[in-house]
Amino acid sequence: MMSNILKATKLDFALMKQYTKSILFTIFFPIFFTLLNRSMLFGISFAMCFSSATSSYTFSICEANNMERFYGILPIKRSEFVLGRYLLIILQGVLTITVSIILQLLALRIVGENVQMHQITSAFLTGIFLYSTYTAFLIPGFYKYGSIKGRVFLFFPTLGFLATLFILPKLSLKIPAVSIALNSPAVLFAVVFVSIVIMYFISMCISVRITEHKEI
Amino acid sequence: MSNYLEVKDLSKSFGNFHLKNINFTLPKGYIMGLIGPNGSGKTTTIKLILNMLKRDEGEIKIFGLDNIGDEQKIKYDLGVVFDSSYFCGEWRITQVRNTMSDFYPSWDTGRFSEFLRRFRIPQEKKVKELSRGMQMKLMLASAFAHRPKLLILDEPTGGLDPVSRDELLQLLSEYIEDGEHSVLFSTHVTGDLERVADYITYINDGQLFFSGGKDEFMDMFRIVKGGTYELTPLLSEKALGIRKFSTGFEALVKTQDLAGFPSLCAEPASIDEIIVFTNKRGENDE
Repeated sequence: MMSNILKATKLDFALMKQYTKSILFTIFFPIFFTLLNRSMLFGISFAMCFSSATSSYTFSICEANNMERFYGILPIKRSEFVLGRYLLIILQGVLTITVSIILQLLALRIVGENVQMHQITSAFLTGIFLYSTYTAFLIPGFYKYGSIKGRVFLFFPTLGFLATLFILPKLSLKIPAVSIALNSPAVLFAVVFVSIVIMYFISMCISVRITEHKEI
Repeated sequence: MSNYLEVKDLSKSFGNFHLKNINFTLPKGYIMGLIGPNGSGKTTTIKLILNMLKRDEGEIKIFGLDNIGDEQKIKYDLGVVFDSSYFCGEWRITQVRNTMSDFYPSWDTGRFSEFLRRFRIPQEKKVKELSRGMQMKLMLASAFAHRPKLLILDEPTGGLDPVSRDELLQLLSEYIEDGEHSVLFSTHVTGDLERVADYITYINDGQLFFSGGKDEFMDMFRIVKGGTYELTPLLSEKALGIRKFSTGFEALVKTQDLAGFPSLCAEPASIDEIIVFTNKRGENDE
């Protein structure tokens, strides 16, 4: 099964190649935000938000080329295609955050900004959490409604994220556990990691269910 | 296993369209033409065979295996061509080759290159830069390159010029020569079928009209012609379709009913004529 998932990932990667420039843009452009605000948190958040929006590309290409028929003839299960696409999107996220952090660190160093470890950690955690939340919401939407209509799902995580930004500081004052989590990198790492795993798991289950019932 | 494809009591409904109780069998080593007017259910049947659409009722067996339960296993031995390209338009031929070879263990790059040369497909171009005919040929080359046991072609000759069509038909005849391969071939160009098909399955308005040997199908019907006065109520009743003119008429009748009309001039009917008359399009008074 694993080898089929990797084949599906490779196929999706072959579709994405034509968008290499756009994907690089999502990595390089946010450096300006970082330099403007002298904060990695802004730059990384922007980079990961932009990058999550590019998760629609494989869906758009398939729609534009009527490629669902191609996926339909290949000797591989629909669930494996879905998992292959998730794997590519997760790999893209890992690559984007790694390259973005390195580039933005370099950019800040060049302008003489001293970046602390906790700033890198919070930028990293915020970045991967944002990316995972966006993509976990978006992908089932794309499978269900296609790449254009599915974009409305982009608003849900945005609203959720903004709400969290407002609610968290208030909660941390009232609930000690929240305050501990926010101030302890280890706990924060664990919370973010578990949340991401749960979000992707639910998202994958929904996407697999949608595609298995879908008629091409 | 002597049958490569068995379709039993297949039914599917969506919206106002109903495909009802479709039954046919394609034995190993033969070509079957799937015919019918637009919207009759040919592509739906093919998509049901490929499990792209979910059947409401019935059973489909390919190589003796269930088309849903053993889908992956079956698809290794299936070659499929649709009426328009399913490859990414931005891909070059090398990308098509790389992708296909990843999924099919039996993929033969030499054979693929041979077909590219035979079809004169320019290898440096992107898929979207190829003409529709060339895109069809590319799908055919890909389908042939992994040596499938069963080829399923949905309107493959639509974008081909007469020379390429002739070449494809020749290729299909060669392909089944060893008795180990079969072809299910849906088409509007029924002249192609008269040349290569061994079996015909005719679907009209979602219902099976006929499935069996091509010769049996063509022997079943005759076109009768006569003057207006010869169009009797009995003939109107027996006729499957009538085309009336100011001076006379043409009608499609079953060969077995011919004996009742000895005075009429009877001719063999082409597949096209059978489709036209049985689809009620023959009823155009002039």
